[in-house]
Amino acid sequence: MRQTGLGPAATDRHRHCCVMDPSDNAGSRQPTVEAVALSYGPAPDGSTGQKDAQPADMLRIKQQMSNQCFEMAVQLQSGKSKRSCSTSEAGRELSEYVNELDRVKTIHFISTLTLHRMQMWHAIGEKLKQNDSEALALKAENDRCMNLCSQIKQLQQESRVFQDEITELQKKRLEMKRLTHEKMKEMDELTSKAGHPDTEKYKAVLERGQANLEKYKKMTVMTQNVLRGILLACKVNWMDDPKLRDIAMTLEEFSISD
Amino acid sequence: MSLLKPFSKLPGLNSANILLVESKEEFQQSLADALVQETSFTVNVRLAKSLPLPMENEESRPRIDLVVFIIDLTSGLSFQSTEASLKCLDPGYFLGKVCFMVINARNAAAPIERLDAVRKLAASLHCPLLFTEDQTPDGVTNATERLLTILKVAAGFVPMATALYLSNLTRSTVSSDIDQPSFD
Repeated sequence: MRQTGLGPAATDRHRHCCVMDPSDNAGSRQPTVEAVALSYGPAPDGSTGQKDAQPADMLRIKQQMSNQCFEMAVQLQSGKSKRSCSTSEAGRELSEYVNELDRVKTIHFISTLTLHRMQMWHAIGEKLKQNDSEALALKAENDRCMNLCSQIKQLQQESRVFQDEITELQKKRLEMKRLTHEKMKEMDELTSKAGHPDTEKYKAVLERGQANLEKYKKMTVMTQNVLRGILLACKVNWMDDPKLRDIAMTLEEFSISD
Repeated sequence: MSLLKPFSKLPGLNSANILLVESKEEFQQSLADALVQETSFTVNVRLAKSLPLPMENEESRPRIDLVVFIIDLTSGLSFQSTEASLKCLDPGYFLGKVCFMVINARNAAAPIERLDAVRKLAASLHCPLLFTEDQTPDGVTNATERLLTILKVAAGFVPMATALYLSNLTRSTVSSDIDQPSFD
């Protein structure tokens, strides 16, 4: 078994290696156990480059180790509290825990953002205290922002007032519409009912009057006919006598009705 | 029978160890070559045909952060070998330190039942399932990137993320209609 040993114990951190393990496969023959080792030389930076990068590397390694320790702690803890539960229950609880984890992560992210905001404001405050040219520029910007904000507030106030007025007008218009509608309804009712009881009485009287008129007309026509008949029968000369002439003229005013 | 245990050894400083298990031993090599190109930390790639690993290397072997099972869908032996190897793995690995990688899924010679079986296996073990293409260099690069993402979390390089958390986000699930007959 050949194996080139280039483990991570070497101090040079840029060396990579690839090692092949023989498998314990009883079925087939594996004659060769090749070990392929690829390695690259040290970094071209040399020692100075390493020194500069070292604090960042140290931090990264520290982070990695803390992650690993956290995982191991989790394993130990899970081993301690063993309770039996069914798979479906575990599945449900798992989804609950994942949701809880998401919620906590969101809260953490929001808190980080808030912290950054506070830090930024603190930095701006410190800068303004220093009172140099940049601080003056910052102050000018800040004043402009304040002016714009107060303008915005004022405009918002005005627009709110206008909105209220518009609402009032709309309410009034609606009220007027309603009143108009009611009045139209009333008028319709009145015109439909208006002459009704008077016309009934009036109709009766009118009919009676007309009936009387017809009766008297007939009587008058009849007496006129009788008088004409008498005049003709008596062969009286009514043209010469003015009284008789007047009477004869009036006989033809009424039409002879059947 | 020797189980491969995740926490029996100390982790390596600024390095991550990955174990690629493939019964055909073809894709392993190109993937390994691509994986060692990573420069921000040391990647140690160990190759194996199947588990359990031999006892002779027990002492010199470092702690394995991620075990990747490469399954070729066109060969039934690959899947069976993987299933047998799974028994030699400590259950502690299945909390985010195991990943399944499938190659040749687009091949017409791959039966659909095997794909379903692989998906069910990955879903039952709550492990991520990656599909990659091994013939082209782009496919190898793509597979390398995805493996490195998972490896970084498993080795602790990503702050505020552990392998268990990532596995909850990336685990493969099987929809309930996988047992329905397919359209053809």
